[in-house]
Amino acid sequence: MFKKQITLKEPKGMDAARFGFFMILPALVFLLFIIIFPLLASIYLSLSEWSPLTGGGTRWYEAYKFWGWLSNYWNILRDADFLMSIVRTFIIVAVVVPVEFFIGLGLAFLFRDNFVGKKIFHSIILMPMMIVPAVAGFVFYMLFQAQGPVNAVLSVFAFKEVSILWLQGTWSAMIAIMIADIWQWSPFMFLILLSGLMALPEDQINAALILGASKWQRFRMVLFPLMKPVIVIALIFRGMEAVKIFDAIWLMTTGGPGTATESISVYMYKHGFKHLRWSWVAAGGIIILIIITLISMQALKPIKEREEEQAA
Amino acid sequence: MEQKLYVKVLKFFLIVFVTMLFFFPIYWIFSMAFKPFPEWTAAGGKIYWFPNNPTFNNFRAIFSRKLEMSPIAGTAIRPILNSLTVSIIGTAIAMVVGIFAAYGISRYKAGGNLPFMLLQLRMFPPIAIIIPIMIMWAFLRMIDTWYGLAIIYGVVTLPFSVWLMKTFFDDIPKELDEAAIVDGCSNIGAFFKVVMPLAKGGIASSALFVFILNWSDFLIALILTDRRWTTIPVHISKLQSAMVGALYGPKAALGMIAAVPPIVFGILIQKYLVRGFTFGAIKK
Repeated sequence: MFKKQITLKEPKGMDAARFGFFMILPALVFLLFIIIFPLLASIYLSLSEWSPLTGGGTRWYEAYKFWGWLSNYWNILRDADFLMSIVRTFIIVAVVVPVEFFIGLGLAFLFRDNFVGKKIFHSIILMPMMIVPAVAGFVFYMLFQAQGPVNAVLSVFAFKEVSILWLQGTWSAMIAIMIADIWQWSPFMFLILLSGLMALPEDQINAALILGASKWQRFRMVLFPLMKPVIVIALIFRGMEAVKIFDAIWLMTTGGPGTATESISVYMYKHGFKHLRWSWVAAGGIIILIIITLISMQALKPIKEREEEQAA
Repeated sequence: MEQKLYVKVLKFFLIVFVTMLFFFPIYWIFSMAFKPFPEWTAAGGKIYWFPNNPTFNNFRAIFSRKLEMSPIAGTAIRPILNSLTVSIIGTAIAMVVGIFAAYGISRYKAGGNLPFMLLQLRMFPPIAIIIPIMIMWAFLRMIDTWYGLAIIYGVVTLPFSVWLMKTFFDDIPKELDEAAIVDGCSNIGAFFKVVMPLAKGGIASSALFVFILNWSDFLIALILTDRRWTTIPVHISKLQSAMVGALYGPKAALGMIAAVPPIVFGILIQKYLVRGFTFGAIKK
C-alpha cells in the first residue's frame, strides 16, 4: 500500500507540471508569434531611414541600404508634433479619468438607495459603454455641429443664438473630444464603483453613524479606505485604455484643426499611413513602448499585489 | 438611513435627468437613422429633435446596390457579414486559447509571469507596432482576409479571455477535479468532463464580452483591411457621396445596426461586466 502510493505520486507530479505547460503552450506560441517579429522589425526599421516612398523600389528588408542609426530617434524626440501628441494624450487622460471618476462616484451614491425603475435606469446608464467607439465618435461629431443640438441647448440657457464652431477651434475641439470620452466611459466608473459600494460591510458604516460621524467624516474615514482597492483598479484600467484613444478623435476631427487634437495614436496613424514614414513611426513606436512599459510596471503593481494576496 | 421625502424626490429627478443625458446621444443615432435628408442637419435653420417625416430610406440606401447615394461603398451587407464573421472567429480563437491557458494558470500555476505579460500587452497602443504586423501580414498574405483580422483580434482580446476564465476556474473548487483524477480520470479528462461543464456560464459570458470588444474595433480593421473585408465601423467612416457629402442618415442607420448587438449582449451579461472590464480583479 505504502509503496504503491509513492510510485503513484512521483510521476503524477511530473505529469501535472507538463500538463500545465501544455495548457498554456498555445497562448505562449500565439504571443511570441505576435511579439517577436514585429518588435525586431520595428527596431530594425527604426534604425534606418527607409520608407515605402524611398526610390528604387526597395523593400522593407532592404532598409539597411538607408541605414541611419539613431537619426530617427534623434529627430522625432525634437519633433514638436510628436512631443505635443504625447503631452496632449496625457492631458486628455488627466482630465477625462478624474472627471469620469467623480461622475461615476456620484452616480454610484445615487444608486445606493432603492427607487422606482432602478434596474431600467441602471441598464440605460451602462449603454454608452456598449456603443462602438467609432459610432460614438460619429454621433458626437453630429452633436457638436455649429447648428447641432449642443449649441441649440446652450442657446436656450444663454438666451441668445450660440453657434460655437466646436470642432474647428483648438481648445473647443479638445473639449468636445473629452466630453465624448466622458460620456462613453463614466458608466464604466459607475459600474465598478457601485459594485464596490454595494460590497461594503453595512455594519461598519452603521457603527460610524452611531458614533456620530458626519457625512464627510463617514466618507473619508470609513468608505474611502474600504473602497480604496476598487478605486485604484478602476483608475488604472480606465487610464490604461484612455491612453490609446483614437476612434472617437478620428471620427470627430481626424486630429484637426491642424494638429490640435492629435493623440499619440492619431499622430502615429497619420504619419504611418497617410505620409508613409514607416521608419519614423517605427522609432516613435519604440519610444512609446518604452514609456508605456515604464508606466505600466508601476501601474500594475497594486494589481499584482492584490493577486498575490488573494493567492496566499 | 431615513431620508426626508423631498430629498428622495430631488434625488430621483437628478437620476432621471442624468439618465436622459446619457441616453440622448444614443437616441440621436436612432432618430437620425429614420430622418430623411433635409432633417439630417440643421443647415436649413431648423433643428429636428424628432424625425418629422420618418423614413426607411437610410436603411434602403445602405442596403441597395444602386449607387445613387453611396458611390464608393455600395451595399453594407458585406461589411455587416464581415464584422460578424471576423468578430465571431476572433472570439472563438481568443476563447479556445484562453480557456486552456486559464486552466493551466488556475490549477497548475503554469506560465509564471504570463498573466501579467498579457496585461502589459493590453496596455500598449496597437498602433505602436501595427506597421511591422502589417509587413508580417503582407508576407503571410493575410492583409484584407477574414483569417488575418480574426487572428489579430484573437491576440488582442486574449488577455481578457485568459483573465476572465481564470477567475471562473478559480471559483470552481479544486477538490472536484482532484477527486476526478483520483477516480482515474486523466488530467485532460477531468478538465473536459468535470470543470468545463461547470464553467459553461462563465465561458458564455466571457465569450459575449470578448465579442463586444472585437465588434467595437475600428483602428485594426482600418489598417489591416482594404476593400473586401472592411468591417462596419470602417464602412461607416467611409460612407460619403460626391453629391451630398457625408451621408449622415445612412451612417446613423448603420451605426444603429452596429450598436444593437453589444447593447443586447451587454445587458445579458450585466452581472459580469465589472469582472470583464477589470480583468477579474473585481468579482463583485
